[in-house]
Amino acid sequence: MNEERSWSGLAEKVLPALSIVAFIGAWQIFVDYNKIAPIYLPSPLAISEALLAMIGDGTLFTNLGATLLRIFAGFALAAVTGIFFGLLMGMSRIVARVADPWIAALYPLPKISLIPLLIIWLGTGESYKIVISAITAFFPIVMSTYAGVRQVDRGLVKAALDLGANASQAQLTVVLPGAIPTIFAGLQLGMGVTIILVVAAEMIGGSARGGMGSLLIQAGQVMETEKVFAALVALTLMGAAIMKGQQWLDHRLAPWADHR
Amino acid sequence: MDISVENVTQIWKSRNGSKVTALDQFSHQFKSGQFSCILGPSGCGKSTLAQIVGGIEKATTGTVSIGAADNPAVTSIGGPSVMVWQSQNLFPWRTVIDNVAYGLEMAGVSRAERYERARVLIASVGLKGFESHFPSQLSGGMRQRVALARALILDRPILLMDEPFGALDAQTKIVMQEELLRIFDETHKTVIFVTHSIDEAILLGDEVIVMTARPGRIKEVLPVNLPRPRSVEMIGTPEFGALFDHAFHLIRDEVTKAMAEQNAAAGAKL
Repeated sequence: MNEERSWSGLAEKVLPALSIVAFIGAWQIFVDYNKIAPIYLPSPLAISEALLAMIGDGTLFTNLGATLLRIFAGFALAAVTGIFFGLLMGMSRIVARVADPWIAALYPLPKISLIPLLIIWLGTGESYKIVISAITAFFPIVMSTYAGVRQVDRGLVKAALDLGANASQAQLTVVLPGAIPTIFAGLQLGMGVTIILVVAAEMIGGSARGGMGSLLIQAGQVMETEKVFAALVALTLMGAAIMKGQQWLDHRLAPWADHR
Repeated sequence: MDISVENVTQIWKSRNGSKVTALDQFSHQFKSGQFSCILGPSGCGKSTLAQIVGGIEKATTGTVSIGAADNPAVTSIGGPSVMVWQSQNLFPWRTVIDNVAYGLEMAGVSRAERYERARVLIASVGLKGFESHFPSQLSGGMRQRVALARALILDRPILLMDEPFGALDAQTKIVMQEELLRIFDETHKTVIFVTHSIDEAILLGDEVIVMTARPGRIKEVLPVNLPRPRSVEMIGTPEFGALFDHAFHLIRDEVTKAMAEQNAAAGAKL
């Protein structure tokens, strides 16, 4: 019984990593054995060579840096405005009523369809990439902040007032922390769409200013497929690192939310 | 501190527009330093009454005034009373010590001073060593001790308790009742304690206010002249038994009546 449990525990730890290794191995064998042209599907070895070359000549970090900067700028803009308006809506009925039709109308609109308009207004520079990602991330953040404030236990607010808190103290010490787990969930969603929109915006405009999106498009246009894959690997790792970092930060900032 | 409740009526409007009278013309003088238990079947408005006395809910009609007869004050939330809730209502993002110190923090007491006072209270309810735990890491009984300490730290003259031990297991409940008896003997606050347990009401109270089923009215006020300090062993005495029988018959009438009404209402719907 015990032995069985330790075996399944070990398997749980090892198997996920093993599955990745097996997949890459199978890929390499498949490409080598079938002699597939690298234009269609480069082998993992060729991709890692391309990745190392991109690291070596600095193109990877220049482009990754540009993308990251845009992601964090767009996300920060969306987080600040989204949380601000979400709190305002949650704490004031009239603000919520006014905001409701706007959000209902704009939330389902695919934000990517605003790209032509934003390019007309802002050009293809930094501001357009940051604005399009911020607009997209704003909605999940504002909506979860609003929902978070609304679902705070009224009993806790009554208890706070009973213990001598005034109305604004109750908002600050009960409603705000009570909403935090939901706000964090919204921030994670927001970060996800920020990454998508920044890379998409880089693909469409401003190849001169770099970024992972323009790197991908450029490599694709000249059929440097191993470069495309290398950029995808870098993007995947970047996305995973950002998401994990965010989860770690959430846990540090709201440790009570985990063991509920 | 005396509490004078006069003709308090509470009517709830339900969503379909029908009105439910939770409390009907409730009047009672709660004497300073007395432990009063409000006993009744569920739905008799006893919790509502405690919340109205605490200023947490507003009565539809009637008044609650607090203090000496020559200089009474209208009750208000955060006033001279503090509530201990059945669901505890602890702040899950605050540690035990920050929960207990909450009221002092809101009053602007310095961190050093409020922690010092909170530590004393945490120790007095037997939770020394748990200061930096979160409520989710504690058992139900421990959470209720935190809630008690959080209320007691403010040293308000009136303690309102809304079925605080209702959700605890039988053994924990006994321990908590003895603890509360000890605290009452030490502090002599005016206590209003809402319960649906006859044992608990008689064991703790100087008087037991037996309520009717909905709409809640006073059926009878039962004085409890058992000596203090009290202990759980008193439950076996003949005096206790006599009080229990009396209260039991009053309550049984009400529960049967309430059930008959529910059946009639269900029948009418069919």
